[in-house]
Amino acid sequence: MKQWPLVLLGFVVIAAWPLLTSDVFLQRLGALVLLSAISASAWNLLGGYAGQVSVGHSVYFGAGAYASLVCFTHFGWPPIAGAPVGMLVSMLIAAVVGTPTFRLRGHYFSMATIAAAELARILAANVPLLGAAVGLMGPPVPRSAWDLSFISPIPYHYLFLAVLTLLLALTWQMQRSKMGFYLAAIRGGDRAARSLGVPVLRYKLYALLLSAAFTSLAGSLYAVMIGFVDPDSGLGILISVKMVIVAALGGAGTLFGPLVGAIILIPLEETTNAMFGGSGTGVTFIIYGAIIVLIARFRPGGVADLWHSLITRGRRGAARGA
Amino acid sequence: MILLQVVVSGLLMGAVYALFSSGLTLIWGMMNVVNFAHGDFVMLAMYAAFFAYTLLHLGPAVFIPGAALLLFVLGVVVYLGLVRHIARGPMLAQILGTFGLALVLRYAAFWAFSANFVSLPDTLVGGTFELGGLRIEASRLLGGVLALVITIGMHLVLTRTMLGSRVLAVAEDRQAAMLMGIRPDRMQALAWGVGAASTGIAGALIALFFYISPTVGESLALIAFVVVCLGGFGSVPGALIAGLAIGVIQALSAYLIGAVYQDVVVFALFLLVLWIRPQGLMGTL
Amino acid sequence: MLLEARDLTKVFGGFRAVGGASLDVAEGEIVGLIGPNGAGKSTFFNCLAGDNPPTTGTIRFRGQDVTKATPEAHARAGMARTFQVPVTFEDMSVAENVMVGAFLRHGHRAAARRVAEEVLAFTGLDHLADTRAGSLGTPGRKRLEIARALATEPVMLLLDEALAGLTPAEVRLAIELVRRIQQRGITIVIVEHIMEVILSLAERAVVFHQGRVIAEGAPRDVVDNPEVVAAYLGHHMKRVRRG
Ligand SMILES: Nc1ncnc2c1ncn2[C@@H]1O[C@H](COP(=O)(O)OP(=O)(O)OP(=O)(O)O)[C@@H](O)[C@H]1O
Ligand SMILES: [Mg+2]
Repeated sequence: MKQWPLVLLGFVVIAAWPLLTSDVFLQRLGALVLLSAISASAWNLLGGYAGQVSVGHSVYFGAGAYASLVCFTHFGWPPIAGAPVGMLVSMLIAAVVGTPTFRLRGHYFSMATIAAAELARILAANVPLLGAAVGLMGPPVPRSAWDLSFISPIPYHYLFLAVLTLLLALTWQMQRSKMGFYLAAIRGGDRAARSLGVPVLRYKLYALLLSAAFTSLAGSLYAVMIGFVDPDSGLGILISVKMVIVAALGGAGTLFGPLVGAIILIPLEETTNAMFGGSGTGVTFIIYGAIIVLIARFRPGGVADLWHSLITRGRRGAARGA
Repeated sequence: MILLQVVVSGLLMGAVYALFSSGLTLIWGMMNVVNFAHGDFVMLAMYAAFFAYTLLHLGPAVFIPGAALLLFVLGVVVYLGLVRHIARGPMLAQILGTFGLALVLRYAAFWAFSANFVSLPDTLVGGTFELGGLRIEASRLLGGVLALVITIGMHLVLTRTMLGSRVLAVAEDRQAAMLMGIRPDRMQALAWGVGAASTGIAGALIALFFYISPTVGESLALIAFVVVCLGGFGSVPGALIAGLAIGVIQALSAYLIGAVYQDVVVFALFLLVLWIRPQGLMGTL
Repeated sequence: MLLEARDLTKVFGGFRAVGGASLDVAEGEIVGLIGPNGAGKSTFFNCLAGDNPPTTGTIRFRGQDVTKATPEAHARAGMARTFQVPVTFEDMSVAENVMVGAFLRHGHRAAARRVAEEVLAFTGLDHLADTRAGSLGTPGRKRLEIARALATEPVMLLLDEALAGLTPAEVRLAIELVRRIQQRGITIVIVEHIMEVILSLAERAVVFHQGRVIAEGAPRDVVDNPEVVAAYLGHHMKRVRRG
């Protein structure tokens, strides 16, 4: 990769962000961008790299969010202690749901993931243990530092940055290894991949397990920061859709695509929410919808694709100049 | 007796499901593109019916064909402006394209019509009457019967007419159809128009007895997907049978387990079927 | 025998695409599979490669029963194949495509890279290594499919019309490539419509017609067999004669 200096610069800016401003809105924005980048990067492992477009990842996000607050509500644990529980549960769900759904191709797969997510949402809304339609709350006042309950968004910013860095490092490693090549082959076509000895089902499952675990972690982090989850905020279809949009805008199947997507979309969302108040969600999603229609129509590769064509054009220009 | 009542109302609802699912199945089977905005097409048709009645004082005899016409135009426009360009692109682009459209339609409706539930007056068509001990709402009967007739009519047009066979030829093999002098683009635009129009009729019919809200399309779309997957892509008769079955299953589970679980049963059944038969109940894919 | 396929049938719905075809292939051979369009050659290949298991019949490869084995198990056992309609991984570069194959026997990136480079040089694709596979034309894709298959280090290679659509000059290059592959000790079964190819490459030709083997033997003799001539009609007949 020849873009290391740029990556380093980006990292420094993101790391310094909350210290550059004293505006809490902007500090909070930084944390939310990172959180969204985590969940979209997690989705990207399966949806981007392996090309299996899941529109049901809210199941894993919700599992993480609920696990944290269930552990708090029923056992009095600090919410973050529920994160590994959520990751385990998510991987279990992934193994049970994923194995059969992977035999489905293309749209069938997406359809099945939506149905599974919707099933989970309706069930959660009717199980008293999960707070039913009302949802669950985190600790109202921090009992100890382990509750990770802060007024300032800054600690969350660094917590999320650490997780995102870990996830991206892992993804980078994966992308360069046999698994990365195999997932790309699967995205290119099951049939050809299998003819070259790629155990397609097994690798799809690996990607899903990894993806589910990190999506769940994102859910737990969300619950830790916001201190509340209900069926819509944890398991709603829009949660899944947002992961897809963020990743696709930046560039699905690229390392930094989801982060770039989050940097563009989350400020947009928060600004419209702040501007339009309660009806802001509506406006946000009209804009979201319009953006993805435009991506699909004109730039299916997202910003990453645009970037590449700009670079190659630049190089060609330079070569001509020389 | 109550059980019979439940089954009959399930069948009537199921006929409407069959109708708006046939629109989806036509498009899906024809070009292997899923319209994720399908439910929102239904929602638009419902609002069209509602405003035709409340603002223009038009009755069902006018607003049902009106909704069909409106949605026909929408279907053709969406095909020409968007779907034609993404149909042969990557999967992700196809999903994003129509999903984005769904979001725009849904939240534009939120914005324009507010999140409040509205509905047409119960008495717009008849009211309720007794038939052999069964209590039946006239609006549901009208909806069910009309939907059944139109679905069967659509099947006949597809299989028995020249135009229908041209549409099916494009679905079967685009290249071969082109060699026979058929213009696939036109046929696909037509399929989108007709698919959307049937959705329009279904929406106007549902509006007669169902609440209307910007998000109503979300759950209806999921039902349509289930119906299409079970019935087999592109199969109108499959959609009919699966639609009726889903209507009855929903009604029975609402009666036996509770209304909140009616969709749980449907989705669980759907996943189960997909796992046992990944190609759908009647599909050959 | 390296490969023994006995009485394979493949039925689609009610249609018998392959109806009781057998084929033995000895180590080191080049066998040519010919037959008119729709004769069932590709379907037979798909059965052999585990892509679409036969309805009835048995397949033994290197002494193992592989009738119901998956395509990935076939690849691991040493059977590689190309597709009649090439399916390259379009988003990846040519070298990366080949590396996917190489990873079958070499888990490490550096080793896979080395194997890929060697195969690219062998197949004459080295100058295209960093080109996106999606931007290749049909001849390039066909060659890339062969390279990718070779990277799995196979014992046997199934080529389904790997030379179709090439210009006469490209065909000569491809024939030469297939020869060099055989010299590496790889057994080859090749489906081909171009008679020139079968005549100059194959030691033995097997003729398919309506899902059955109707003739088998030295390519020269098979081409003159009246039953074979009858099976080919119209322009196919001319091609056979010219050969
Ligand atoms: N999946 C399938 N379902 C139904 N019929 C099929 C299927 N695959 C192939 N067939 C049919 O089986 C017959 C044999 O096809 P096949 O592709 O094996 O022929 P072929 O000898 O390879 O012909 P060609 O020289 O044109 O490649 C054809 O009539 C074809 O239409
Ligand atoms: Mg063939």
